[in-house]
This record gives sequence, structure tokens and C-alpha cells, in this order.
Amino acid sequence: MTLYERLGGESAFTAAVDEFYRRMLTDDRVAHFFDDVDMESQIAKQKAFLTYVTGGPAEYTGKDMRDAHSHLISRGLDDEHVDVVIEHLGATLTSLGASAEDVAEVAKVAESVRSDVLGR
Amino acid sequence: MSSGSTSARLELDGREIVLSTGESVLEALERSRVDVPSGCRSGTCKKCLIQSEGEVPPRAQAGLRPQLASRGFFLACQARPTTGAFRILNANGPTPVNTLVERCELIGSDVLRLFLRLEGRFEYRPGQYLDVLHPSGESRSYSIASLPVEGALELHVRRIPNGLVSGWLCQLDEGARVRVRGPFGQCFHIADDPRRKLLLVGAGTGLAPLLGIAKDALHQGHEGAIDLIHGGVEPKRLYLRDELQALADRWPQLRIHYCVLKNATSREHQGTLEDAAVRLAGSLESVRAFLCGDSSIVQRLQRSLFLAGVPSAEIFADPFSPGSSSSIRVT
Repeated sequence: MTLYERLGGESAFTAAVDEFYRRMLTDDRVAHFFDDVDMESQIAKQKAFLTYVTGGPAEYTGKDMRDAHSHLISRGLDDEHVDVVIEHLGATLTSLGASAEDVAEVAKVAESVRSDVLGR
Repeated sequence: MSSGSTSARLELDGREIVLSTGESVLEALERSRVDVPSGCRSGTCKKCLIQSEGEVPPRAQAGLRPQLASRGFFLACQARPTTGAFRILNANGPTPVNTLVERCELIGSDVLRLFLRLEGRFEYRPGQYLDVLHPSGESRSYSIASLPVEGALELHVRRIPNGLVSGWLCQLDEGARVRVRGPFGQCFHIADDPRRKLLLVGAGTGLAPLLGIAKDALHQGHEGAIDLIHGGVEPKRLYLRDELQALADRWPQLRIHYCVLKNATSREHQGTLEDAAVRLAGSLESVRAFLCGDSSIVQRLQRSLFLAGVPSAEIFADPFSPGSSSSIRVT
């Protein structure tokens, strides 16, 4: 059973994505990257991301990640911001009932896309 | 083999496509060289959203907003029907329909209230929008304030200085012909809980879809409170006050609020629309919000209500982009 399924699948993730996105929007370290984005499509993307990193039904390619973030690199997107995302990801999953091992496992999956996100 | 009568079939633009065993609707359409957008192919990205007139396998609608599911939208990659015929709609977008100008009134300082009598079939939900087609080929989007039972389509057109389409509409005589195409958009009432609180917030001609949504909810028997907040820079930019008041007098669950940035009288709140919206939202976890108007205002409202605690799934937004046709999000 994937972590996605153990945490309650689709219905649990609808609320989790709201929590994750609220954390990002209220964190001054990263909030400015979301100033002019469309909330509805951003939430759909965050949901696909959370689904992917917990082993649920979503596919990501390195190219998707590069294309989605390339315009943010000129605005200063850096390792520090990826760390913030992983931090909020962990806190969100913990509040859903994920164990410390699960959170570490998810952080590893998120780490694997770091170089694509940062265009390296 | 006599499987022809038991296999699922798709009908599309007069063509018939028979599904192979275990094949998804997406795969069958692609095999038949229909250009359907697709992405994850696992029901998450929702790029392959299409609409059917027939029944739809329930698994193909998991995670869709109820107003999409109720209108036969489904995810082509998740649909693996084994029987039945499905008429696929909107492969090329809706067909234009003729209307005639029935009545037009200048209301407020710069708003034209336009009533169009339909000459063809046009099914819509109040709050959705349509494109008005200018003879030059340009088009502009306007939201629908009327109910289908009222007969004519009601649009609120803000007159833009030197605006091609708004200028043209403002000088039309009664009986003039106007072609429209639609409807589009997902900003309309869903009667899933008659006691839920509804919060309708809009600025300028964003009042048009809100008026449509409020009347639709009331006519469908909504019992819960409906708080409608109309915002403008100053009081003289607010319009249709008498009509809104008459509606509120008739339906006690409807309350009308006004919000302006300056020159407020005793009848308006002074301040930002998002502050008024959060203050009037009531219980944030159970309210459903409809937000209409210029895109910058709608984005601020959306973010404020979301951060205050309203679930994203309960925020329905219809941002206008002035001077251009709105993006078509569904079809």
C-alpha cells in the first residue's frame, strides 16, 4: 500500500493540499513566488505534486519540473526555497497522520527533483 | 464475432467509434485521430476532461467539481465503458446562436443593461458567461444575469472608452441582431445543500453573474443565508440598487451589502472588498463563495478568503479580463 493510500487517498488530499498551499502563501520566504499565479491551477498542480511524492497516481517528468520553474530562477529561486517546500510538505503530511519514516521517505522523493526544479 | 451490440460506442460529429475490450475513451479517441488533450493518464491532471450526453462510468468523475460531474463532464483517460452509447459533446466548442436586442437601458454611470431574445437553442446556468461576436470577428465575454425561465438573456455591459464591442452594443437599436456563443464557465449554483451559507462577492459588472446565481439559488429553494456584496470605487458606481432591494424584500434569506473605497454614505461599508468578504463570510469552513469581477480584484478576494480558512473547493471564481475574450476553461 502506498503512503497516498494509507493517508486516505483523493479525499484526504483535497484538504491536505489546502493546508500545504496555505503554509506556502503565509511563509514570507516563499510567498512572493505565488504573487501572480492563478490559485485554482496552482492548487491542481500542488495536488499532483503531493500525489506524486506519496506514491499516488500522478506522473512527473524532469522536463515538467524544469518547465514549470524556469521562470522563477531569474526571480531568485534557490536551494533555500526547495528546503522550505520540503519542510511544509513534512508538516502537512505529519498533520495527516504520516509517521516520521514516511516523511523522511517523501523528502527523499522530493529531493530527487531538486536539480530539475533549480534547472541544474 | 457478434460483439458489436455489446461493446461501448462513442458518437462524435456524426462518426461512430467502437471501443475495444478494456480500452479507455481517451485511447479510442486517439486511435481515431481525434485531437484530445491529455497529460497524466491517471485521473490527476484533468487535462482530458470532456463532456458526454450519455451516462458516464462513475470512476471517470472522481475528484471533479460536482457542477462538472452533473453536466456529464468526465475524464476520458479514466472511462472504460464496456457497453452503451456516449455522445461526445463540445469537440469543437459550441455553435454560435442568433439573438435579437429586446431592450437596452443605460443604468448607473457607464453600464448598459442588455436583454437579448434567443432565436436558437442555448442552454445555460445563470452566472455562466457567453461570447458576444462582433461583426469584425472579434468577441468579448459577458456573464449572464438572467434565469432561463425569464426568457431573454440579460447582460451588463460596461462601456469602455473607445471599446470596439461595448461601443457597438451601446448604439444598437431594439430588434438588432447579435450573435453569441456559449455558455462557458463553472461559476454557478449547485443545489447540493439548501441550508449552506452562500457568499456572493463582486465588483462593477461582476454583479451580473452574482444576480443570476442568487436568483437561481432562490428559485431552486435555497433556504440558507445568501449574502451578496457589491463593490465599487464609490457609491455612484453601484447600480441596480432598487432591483436588488426588491429582491431582498421578497426573499428574507437574501441580504445585500455595499462596499466602496471612498465617499461612503450610511448605506455602504467603506474599505476593501476582501475585508468585507471575510467579515461577512460567517463560518468559514462551511460557506461557499462566488467571486466575480476584474481579475485583480477576484484574485485578491480568492486569496483572502482561502487564507481566512474557506476550502479552495468552495471558492468559485470568474475573473474578467477586460478588453479581451475570457479564456475558455472547460470546452
